[in-house]
Amino acid sequence: MSVFEAWHLPGLEPDHVEEWRERVLPDGVRLRWPWLRAGAMRELAGRVAAAREALDGVPVVEIIGAVNRVAARLVDPADPLRAEAAALLPAVTGFHPAMVTLVLDRMAAEWRTPALERLLQAELGGAAALDGFVALPGGRRARAFGPRLALHVFAGNVPGVAVTSLIRVLLVRGASVGKTAAGEPVLPVLFARALATEHAALGDALAVTYWPGGEGPAEQEALAAADVAVGYGNAAAMAALRRAAPPGARLVEHGPRVSVGIVGPGALTDPARAETVAREAARAIAVVDQQGCVSPQALLVVDGCPVTPLAFTRALAAAFEQLEETLPRGGLEPGEAAAVHRLRNEAEFRAIAGAPVEIFAAPGTAWTVVLDATGELRASCLNRFVTVHPVASVRAAVVRLTPLAAALQTVAVAGAEELEAAAAALGRLGATRVTSFRAAPWPPGHGLHDGRGPLRELVRWTELEDGS
Amino acid sequence: MAEASPRQDLLAFMRSPVAEAAPDAFEALALRVFAWQYAHNEPYAAFCRRRGLTPDRVAHWTAIPAVPTQAFKALPLITAGGSGEAAGEAALFRTSGTTQGRERRGEHHVSDPALYHASLLPTFAAYLLPDGARQPMCSLVPPAADVPDSSLAHMVDRVMAACGVPGGGVYVDGAGRLDRAGLEARLAEHVAAGTPVCLLGTSLALLRWLEELDAAGRSFALPAGSRLMDTGGYKGNEREVSEAALRRTYGRVLGLPADHCVNEYGMTELLSQYYDDVLRRRVLGGAGPPAGPRPKAGPPWLRALAADPDTLAPLPPGEEGILRHVDLANLGSVAAVQTEDVGVVLADGRILLKGRLASAEPRGCSRAMDQLLDAARGT
Repeated sequence: MSVFEAWHLPGLEPDHVEEWRERVLPDGVRLRWPWLRAGAMRELAGRVAAAREALDGVPVVEIIGAVNRVAARLVDPADPLRAEAAALLPAVTGFHPAMVTLVLDRMAAEWRTPALERLLQAELGGAAALDGFVALPGGRRARAFGPRLALHVFAGNVPGVAVTSLIRVLLVRGASVGKTAAGEPVLPVLFARALATEHAALGDALAVTYWPGGEGPAEQEALAAADVAVGYGNAAAMAALRRAAPPGARLVEHGPRVSVGIVGPGALTDPARAETVAREAARAIAVVDQQGCVSPQALLVVDGCPVTPLAFTRALAAAFEQLEETLPRGGLEPGEAAAVHRLRNEAEFRAIAGAPVEIFAAPGTAWTVVLDATGELRASCLNRFVTVHPVASVRAAVVRLTPLAAALQTVAVAGAEELEAAAAALGRLGATRVTSFRAAPWPPGHGLHDGRGPLRELVRWTELEDGS
Repeated sequence: MAEASPRQDLLAFMRSPVAEAAPDAFEALALRVFAWQYAHNEPYAAFCRRRGLTPDRVAHWTAIPAVPTQAFKALPLITAGGSGEAAGEAALFRTSGTTQGRERRGEHHVSDPALYHASLLPTFAAYLLPDGARQPMCSLVPPAADVPDSSLAHMVDRVMAACGVPGGGVYVDGAGRLDRAGLEARLAEHVAAGTPVCLLGTSLALLRWLEELDAAGRSFALPAGSRLMDTGGYKGNEREVSEAALRRTYGRVLGLPADHCVNEYGMTELLSQYYDDVLRRRVLGGAGPPAGPRPKAGPPWLRALAADPDTLAPLPPGEEGILRHVDLANLGSVAAVQTEDVGVVLADGRILLKGRLASAEPRGCSRAMDQLLDAARGT
């Protein structure tokens, strides 16, 4: 039986580990990680932060090069690193192998040299601001410095997000301790290990392992040593991080977010165009089985167009049926399946009671599309469950989204007549990203993240004033 | 053509001794009950039509469309005209609805209490009183008069009236307060007189009482033949105690042997109940209780199957799934009910309960929409 060592902890001697924890995956693979006590965590955090100092002499282009080589291996079908990721991730995440392959390819593309250079350009005007003092617009002269040590608390819903988070800190020459999620303790470890073989100094500035979130002294020690804490997850996880972070530490929160889609008149005139949009919407929902922050959870479709909401809903259902062939939904825990049935039941009871509700669904739980014209916004249980809400106009759609304002992230829009006006209204509401259905599931690596600059919020600036 | 109500034949079926019912009788009656409900319960008929499962297309009881327990919250599941010729005062039972605050409570309209009593009494007698014992019954379930919408209180009330003898009583009030002094004085009398007693209560109420007794250093050695019925009242509560641990407490603090402690499995949505068959087996066959989990058995007019949680298709006996019950005593509502209770149906029809489906907390950030919409509704 094979064992996957689900940790990358520079300087840790396996022989000296007092206690190991294990988890057996459905396919029999055992994941193993050391149970770190407070003292061990303190030493580890100190070691990683000290190793960071060696990066002061490493030009950013060298860091980019090393990350790029690991990313190239992750997308190369002939590379054992890719093979290991592709073999482990389906069992550990529950996603179908086809989904894992797709996500690996798309995520790793953002870790290649051109993408990383574009990110640095967009955020800091280029790598030069990290390698030395540069003239900034407005007459300032300054240099950016990354965190001494960033603690990352990852979520398990989308493979690759954790790696992106580690790369951002590396780009600004920061060290990281990454706490993996129970749902995805594999890819960040594979990345860190591969990076260590490409560039030892970078590998020494990274520690990645698992411990139960919010648990005990180990997490406190890691937090105490960090000057930046990066958190992904639900509201409770964010609140816990905020409570536990030491005063003065910078918090980078990626808390709970909701994304939706709006289909406007321009996409509902020509049936062929509507079908294309329906296919793109279905795919945006299907990617990572709707568990991403950018996955649309509800669709608002403008009524009174040549392609009716019902026709659009049917096209959406057909698209989901097709996706079951090419990009099947992953397996569900019985409780998740029950959640699908519960939401379907609720819709069905509304229909039986005479409400304007129609349900289209796979024989199992693979996908569900509900057309609900009751005027009330309906939540999704994810795993490819979406409700189509007919609305009078794009403007009415924006109003309908009001209850979601506090957590609105991506709004995928197709066929809006006045896109900028719609985007402005969505922005006023709280949305941080307006995009197409095609792009919705793949936020570009150089883009803003939850409306904030992903490198800018990691660095601090030192200004060198004239006359010094 | 309007079929006649299956009520009379059902009552006759229920009068036959629990162990001796003909297996075929269930099959035929189940299909008649389904046809009757399809014809007289419009929300249920709509539910069936949506699945393309009409009486002419359902040939086996396992294919009868089962409404989820959730349906009792959303739809008026009343078979019009009840069972044709209802007897007794109608009752409305409600689920406790404690697990999800904002949800409506489930409602089970019982228009034909005579049929309900015809089911519950012989079943209780078969599994709690298989030796024909007549004992004083002491209840830790609030009196039915104080909690008229509790099916458990109603059941205990009927059982005490029909099967009890003087010397018992109800020792919990409508607010759930236990009259410890009264109960313990009464038990002490029975111990002194050597009279066996029957205790009835939720597991939680019994546990709380016994912990207090235990803490006070008190215990009873209830007379031989005494017995206890508990029911999963601690489900979803802050207290989760294993059945085995609870039975050890019954033994230590009350002096009850394990095979005289009978756990009931019932729900508001079903008018019939399942019980551990340990006492019945002990009395009739001499076999002791199994070492592991105890199978539960119901009356011949109640059958279960396990369904696949994803497809809801029936699973073969022995495979774990979510339990679906077909309870013919539900003639006045809907007989086939799909639960979220996880379990296995054994080849002999008994069931092994494995708990409830874990509530689904999806990975990542997805509960946000649910919570925001709840907040917007002001719930």
